[in-house]
Amino acid sequence: MLRRLRTSISRKIMLLVLVTTASALLLSAAGLVVYDLRSYERQWTGDLNLQAEILARASAPALSFDDHQTAEKDLSIIRARPEVLAAALYTDEGRLFATYLEEGERPQTFPEHPEADGYHILGDEVVVFRRVVERGEPLGTIYIRARYLPWDRVLDYLAILGVVMVASLALSGLVFGWLQRGVTAPILDVARVAREVMQRRDYSLRARKASDDEIGELVDAFNGMLAEAGRRAEALREADRRKDEFLATLAHELRNPLAPLRNAVEILRTPQATEQMHERALGMMDRQLRQMVRLVDDLLDVSRITTGKLTVRKSVFDLREAVRDAIETVRPFVDSREHVFEVSLAEDALPVDGDRARLGQVIGNLLHNAAKYTEPGGRIWLSAAREDGEATIRVRDSGIGLDERSIADIFDMFVQVDRSLTRAQAGLGVGLTLARRLIGLHGGTVTAYSEGLGHGSEFIVRLPLVEGEAKPPEAPAQEAEGRSDRPRRILLADDNVDFARSLAEVLERHGHEVRVAYDGEAALREVESFRPDFAFLDIGMPKVHGYELARRLRERPETAGCVLVAVTGWGQEDDRRRAREAGFARHLVKPVDPAEIESIVAEG
Amino acid sequence: MRHRAVPFLAALLLFVASALAQAAEPVAESSVKAAFLYKFSGYIDWPPERFAGAQAPFVIGVMHDDEVAAALERLVPGRSVAGHPVVARRLEPGDPLSGVQLLFVGGREADRAAIRAGQQSGALVVTECPEGLEAGSAINFVVADDHVGFEVSLDAAQRTGHHISSRMLSVAKRVVQKGT
Repeated sequence: MLRRLRTSISRKIMLLVLVTTASALLLSAAGLVVYDLRSYERQWTGDLNLQAEILARASAPALSFDDHQTAEKDLSIIRARPEVLAAALYTDEGRLFATYLEEGERPQTFPEHPEADGYHILGDEVVVFRRVVERGEPLGTIYIRARYLPWDRVLDYLAILGVVMVASLALSGLVFGWLQRGVTAPILDVARVAREVMQRRDYSLRARKASDDEIGELVDAFNGMLAEAGRRAEALREADRRKDEFLATLAHELRNPLAPLRNAVEILRTPQATEQMHERALGMMDRQLRQMVRLVDDLLDVSRITTGKLTVRKSVFDLREAVRDAIETVRPFVDSREHVFEVSLAEDALPVDGDRARLGQVIGNLLHNAAKYTEPGGRIWLSAAREDGEATIRVRDSGIGLDERSIADIFDMFVQVDRSLTRAQAGLGVGLTLARRLIGLHGGTVTAYSEGLGHGSEFIVRLPLVEGEAKPPEAPAQEAEGRSDRPRRILLADDNVDFARSLAEVLERHGHEVRVAYDGEAALREVESFRPDFAFLDIGMPKVHGYELARRLRERPETAGCVLVAVTGWGQEDDRRRAREAGFARHLVKPVDPAEIESIVAEG
Repeated sequence: MRHRAVPFLAALLLFVASALAQAAEPVAESSVKAAFLYKFSGYIDWPPERFAGAQAPFVIGVMHDDEVAAALERLVPGRSVAGHPVVARRLEPGDPLSGVQLLFVGGREADRAAIRAGQQSGALVVTECPEGLEAGSAINFVVADDHVGFEVSLDAAQRTGHHISSRMLSVAKRVVQKGT
């Protein structure tokens, strides 16, 4: 039943059309019948009154001169109206004077006395009385009795209505058939396609467009939505596939440095190892660790991008500084691949408002890519100049180049060109995505060009220039190093014993006095006898966690002036905010470079 | 003696019978005739030049029939014809007829002199004798089966300039016209 009710829109429209037609017809017929009954009564009684008047005038002389025969002759003219059953003439004294009976009508008693002027309806008969007046003097009364059959007319009407009804419904059916073709059929087609799409998950299906009206628009819109849904499903599949690849790549990349590190540790343990071997092993460990740190940094950036929390700290500086930083960082890699590296920097400053470190990271990334995706012994060009009022950096190479499709989606997350190379070259495929986001945050653009595979590629970064002088470069590192010898009291709190001990060793070697605690309570015990200038606190610690520890240290007068530094694996903006609220002055993300800690101690 | 008494008795009986008839009959008949006389006036066009003025009365003259005259005198007060008040007037042969619109000449025998005088004066003459129309009257009462009817001579009416409505003619027992 439910199914039958729901089945189809065409059934509903059919019902609508038929009910509308039928009710309109019935209403108008009812109105007509009522109107006709009223007008029939008015017309018929008016007619009879007129007949009575004519009879009255005609029979007045007969009544005047007391002539029964003539009176009856006069009355008999009413025979022309077959509806009149009987008529009579009364004298002024109320005596029956003359009568007329319709042929075949059974003799009936006439009213004994005439009544007042007017008519009344008795069942299927109507009776009219009318005075006969001559020269202002009443002579008598005319009486007419006639058939009154409105129901005959109603029956006629009903018969006609029946015929009209059948004809109208038939016509409605025809109209509906036409509607069905023009309106419901396309909608039903859309419904059918929608059902098939849901069942088969096939977004390539399309509804057929039959007309250019609103229904045609509906069909177009429906097809458009199908296309869009198909695109999105495809995009989701693609993103999913890239993420899977990314995870595979990530596992691979994170595992890569571990074997060399273990080998290096073995070498260092070997008593026979020479000083030279030690040096090589340490160098190797350093390189592999840097690589891992870079990977993890990339991962954090991926997280920031996907959660939309990537931010930059802006200040006005000379963009050439960031370029020089990047060159310095990448040059060892470029040299290792024996590329010819040509650099051309503008002679004048390129002041931009931005994050020097982040912009350096972007340029470095582009240079790294150029070196990576160019066979050893290739050429790399870097230029930074003022073009069309913008700071423009071009990184060009003679490498493998890009095909058109690659140019289109090379900035998407996890996309890497040429898997075979990727396997050989480290990377997670997030560098260009990050680059585009960072440049976007600076109000600039980064675009890729290539004349095709094997013809090299060019990446162009454009950033808005700031009018006015760039700030003088930050204080050189040497000055910090100059102060680094000042001995400080330092508290380290971390439940990672290896990390805490190794860091303590490094700091003690620089001449500082260091205490180590492995949980929050121990740290609080330490500060009772030891007033640290700096406290490097882990956040996730047993017993008393870092935030709580920081609050307590801030409350104590002896540690209120201590510089609190959070050292944690959690680098999100949220974590930084909580750290600030707990009273931390700085926030370092693991793994921490000992040099960074040293510079903080030197600055403080 | 016996022979003398029989005619007397017969005469007496006849007298009583006729007296009884006279007593019952003439009252009804005369008042019907009086009513008819008045009613005729409504179906006849009266030449306006016969009236002395707008306020002049409509005079119905009655000759030879006091009962009709009496009935008419009871009937007409307060009635009018075409705006003229109706007046009944008893007349004797030889009386002047000026101003008389309708003249009733009673009697079973036609008073031809009176009829002629009425016609000459321009009045419409009504009689009640079998030869009335032939004697020159326009309307003549006929009584059959105790029922009062009338006959009309259109020629006579036309001679005095009167037009009688066809509605009245439809009730007439006989209508006489030239050539018929």
